[in-house]
Amino acid sequence: MFRLLEETGFTRLRSAVEPRFRFRKVSTQVSAEAFGVKAVMMTAVKPA
Amino acid sequence: MTESEDIAPSLEGVLKDEILRMYQEVADNPRNEFHFFHGREAAELFDYAPEWLDRAPSGAVESFAGVGNPHRRSNLQPGETVLDLGSGAGLDAIIASWQVGPTGAVIGLDLNPTMCLKARAHATAADAHMECRTGAMENIPVPDAAVDVVLSNGVINLSFRKRRVIEELFRVLKPGGRLSITDIVSAKQLSQSIVNDPKLWAS
Repeated sequence: MFRLLEETGFTRLRSAVEPRFRFRKVSTQVSAEAFGVKAVMMTAVKPA
Repeated sequence: MTESEDIAPSLEGVLKDEILRMYQEVADNPRNEFHFFHGREAAELFDYAPEWLDRAPSGAVESFAGVGNPHRRSNLQPGETVLDLGSGAGLDAIIASWQVGPTGAVIGLDLNPTMCLKARAHATAADAHMECRTGAMENIPVPDAAVDVVLSNGVINLSFRKRRVIEELFRVLKPGGRLSITDIVSAKQLSQSIVNDPKLWAS
């Protein structure tokens, strides 16, 4: 998604992992970790 | 990143229906368990201010299904116009409304007209002002350059056309406008079996 934001023309991109995100179901969390699934906070600006 | 070319049109329809069904269930049966945390438990996990959660209607809090806290970096100012993409039962839109105040405006967007009705009712009960429009994030019913800030919380990952969604966000933002979003990303391409599973996709 970060790449899409850049390609679309957004600037001043910032991101950080949301450290506390996890799935409730353990099996889902295990699968998610296997695919590197995480929650990320992103900010960006449309050029003036 | 999964885009529409990876999804047959008929499957896209099935998956979209499952998304609608899943989040309607969260709103109708907040005491059920889901793959993800939801409600006040989730909001507290993501450091939503307790005073917000106490002030907002319980129905809006119970149905919260975000994946983070876009308010941390939104820096909303009085008078700003905000779009909440995927507004659900309205918690994030209500919080945004309190921050932009009576001179600002909040537009919620949700695919589900029932959720829009709920969100508007919750906003009224919370002394917040928001309008909610029913529509798809791939075709946002907002004019060009109309909003100062876009908030979104765990929604864009549900789209099969993420590039299109991002382009729409760019279109509706004013020059100098900003995004504050939280969402799910994956480091690896999801297997087709996961992509094809409506329940896993909607989670």
